[in-house]
Amino acid sequence: MSVTFGLIAALQLVAPDVGRDVAWLGWGRVRYAHTQGIMLGWLANAFFAFLYHAVPILTGRPVTSTRLGVWLFALWNFAVMVPGWALVLAGVSQPLEWAEFPLVVDVLVVVSLVLAAVQFLPGFFQRGIESMYVSSWYIIGGLVFTLLSYPMGNLVPELLPGAAGAAISGLWIHDAVGLFVTPMALAIIYFVIPASTGRPVFSHFLSMLGFWLLFFLYPLNGTHHYVFSVIPMAAQLAAIVASTLLGIDVLIVVTNLFLSMRGAGVLPRDPALRFVSTGTVFYVIVSLQGSAQAQMSVNQAVHFTDWVVAHSHMAMLGFASFAAAGGLVHVWQRMADAPYNARAISWAYWLLVTGLVAMAVDLTAAGLVQGQLWTAGAPWIDSVVASRPYWVMRAYVGLVLAAGFIALLVGLATGPRGAGMAVRPARSRDEHDVVSPRLTPATEAP
Amino acid sequence: MSIRAGRALRTAYLVASVAGVAFFALSVTLLGVWPARALDEQTRAMAPEHPLEPTTSERRGRAIYAREGCAYCHSQQIRYLHADLTRFGAPTLAWETRRDTPHLWGTRRIGPDLSRAGGTRSLDWHYAHLFAPRAVVSASVMPGYPSLFDGAPDRPRQGARDLVAYLDALGRARALAGPEGEAHARQGCNCPDDEMAQMAFDTALNAHPGKALRPSQPPPALPAATASDAPRGRELYARHCATCHGATGTGDGPGAHGLLPRPANLAEHAYANERLAQVLWNGVSGSAMSAWRDQSPADLAALSQAVQSLSAPRPEPAVPAHLVALGAAVYTAHCAQCHGEHGDGRGSAADALQVAPASFAQQRLSLPETLRVLREGIPGSPMAPWPSRLNEAEQLAVAHHVRTFSSAIASGAVRP
Repeated sequence: MSVTFGLIAALQLVAPDVGRDVAWLGWGRVRYAHTQGIMLGWLANAFFAFLYHAVPILTGRPVTSTRLGVWLFALWNFAVMVPGWALVLAGVSQPLEWAEFPLVVDVLVVVSLVLAAVQFLPGFFQRGIESMYVSSWYIIGGLVFTLLSYPMGNLVPELLPGAAGAAISGLWIHDAVGLFVTPMALAIIYFVIPASTGRPVFSHFLSMLGFWLLFFLYPLNGTHHYVFSVIPMAAQLAAIVASTLLGIDVLIVVTNLFLSMRGAGVLPRDPALRFVSTGTVFYVIVSLQGSAQAQMSVNQAVHFTDWVVAHSHMAMLGFASFAAAGGLVHVWQRMADAPYNARAISWAYWLLVTGLVAMAVDLTAAGLVQGQLWTAGAPWIDSVVASRPYWVMRAYVGLVLAAGFIALLVGLATGPRGAGMAVRPARSRDEHDVVSPRLTPATEAP
Repeated sequence: MSIRAGRALRTAYLVASVAGVAFFALSVTLLGVWPARALDEQTRAMAPEHPLEPTTSERRGRAIYAREGCAYCHSQQIRYLHADLTRFGAPTLAWETRRDTPHLWGTRRIGPDLSRAGGTRSLDWHYAHLFAPRAVVSASVMPGYPSLFDGAPDRPRQGARDLVAYLDALGRARALAGPEGEAHARQGCNCPDDEMAQMAFDTALNAHPGKALRPSQPPPALPAATASDAPRGRELYARHCATCHGATGTGDGPGAHGLLPRPANLAEHAYANERLAQVLWNGVSGSAMSAWRDQSPADLAALSQAVQSLSAPRPEPAVPAHLVALGAAVYTAHCAQCHGEHGDGRGSAADALQVAPASFAQQRLSLPETLRVLREGIPGSPMAPWPSRLNEAEQLAVAHHVRTFSSAIASGAVRP
């Protein structure tokens, strides 16, 4: 599993970015590197790593090719991440959120995504779609739709002027989260829960309902980043309605997930399950918050403030990174030659939870203060002065989060080889069974 | 699973898969392509016939703005919301963004929106601020960009010049389209019943609270400040003014370097209340002194009191009798054209000058400083040095003379 090396490298590079100071020199460039690093360096590498474990189990066949895997790893990390970072730090970038890597790197991202699709997807279709578990659907959906949305978000705003380009940018900001990060994270959560508890998910029907609604609704959300703008009001309203409906869909998904975890307790003993269950909690919080902040009355008060920064940290860190960490810990527990340090992983969990909750509360409060001062017509600099204690707090919290990521790295890179095998929860059934509906007819999808 | 159920499920999934892709296509069409067409039409209908195009320098400046991630703290999108309109000005129209590729709208405001930043600050203010933001705005968290300079704010490299050219052009196309442009846009909009669209036309184009103005009417008087306002006034002075005017008002704060005309030496000036109200409400057009309209009137009154307390009361030198007639003669011959017959700054040439001539009725400079200004002029303003045309006796005479216009300030309007 050569991708794991990429993951470790990405972890080391990305974690310090989480705690960066607002007033840093070159802040803009560092921010470009931060968000692109989190999404492509950390999350994408973690997702790919997990797929090497999950796809053979879900499809019953090995992935397409080991050599292709080496190519994918090399391309993603040495042709996308390293040059991408180097270029944005050197000042070659595009000023588009979640699309800061320059176009030359974007081409390589698309090539890599095609390779990833070739590597991971054929097995699903060979097996037949009628017996496919929901994680498989999310993996297919995530890879296929990102291939559609990535070029749209990265290339089209370079061609369309101003407001029209912003409309496309808005779509991509949400598609990046909704059509790439969310499906992959949910694939992990849906995989880890039954494999860890030894029970199938509560309802395959609800899981499929949630999947399809997500893919129907998510693309329609993007324009809610530009409410009260010159973009036609009908488009803004459509996005707001879709955002509201998406909240309902997320309730369906998490209800199914929580019912699947019943009996495991609030803090499951299995650290992998603990990570994904916490990720699920943040998923419901951040999604309902998202539905709320898309509403015009809320949006006008919190848009442009740190409230939104708190929101994106809950999404990319609370939901996606917890799912990714849970997925990796889960995989490590199943590799006989992988080092595994249970103490460090436990530390990682608590550091990340503490840091994330503190950051979310801190930045949400900051956002409310900023929004209030702006609405009240206070001098602009007053909002900067008032934010300062929150930003200081956020910098400290960033240290906690960085420590959490380092602890996760330590947990996965040190400790006795194969120690993870020992902490694997005892299960009533083999995990190959619980993620395959064909073998569990009692909960058959209709 | 029966074969029939399997086939039904396969069909259902196929339908759903097609629907999934269709929804993505729908999203791109409904929220991307259709708005783009609508915005394009709007642009064509509302843009002035010959909108000003950005210069090469401004385009390069825009690339620097994009590269440094400025848009991640400074939005360029004024929303159709009261809070945005009153702070920044008229909402951004589609045609104003037609050369914005890729767009720089931004989704976060740590600093203020810059859609209409053009003309709100002087160029040397921009240089000083880009070089060392906290030297100018003490509480700023903006990163400095000294790499765009050759070691000092008054030695900008090409990059700084380009960036400042870009900043100063923001919102310019619409401002220069003028009332005709607005009328054309309103007509092209064809939206008399759309309240929101009308907001774009019914509000002030540029509502920046720091934009210096030269209104013909005097601003509203500030409320009377009392002794209890003194601590508040000193706090405001330290936070907002000391960066340029210096902690003691001597005009040599850390932000003063490179500013032309130099920040006023408040310690050598006695100001009438009306003058301070005028400067605080409207700024000093043509200089780096911005207006402070975002402060409350009570705070401005406290600030004005703090500024007046910076100049210690001093014994006024008596005007030597033999210079009185000479001073009046020199003034009428050389000064009245700009500073006005009565020393009120409203001479016949005043309106044509970049920086308004001083009103001697509302501010009195100490005698040594007046003589220095006569000797050296005020670089960055139309006030020239006079030694080549006035001998020393004439300079002394006219220095005494201009100080007689402000007898009202001497009679007690200045609080010690």
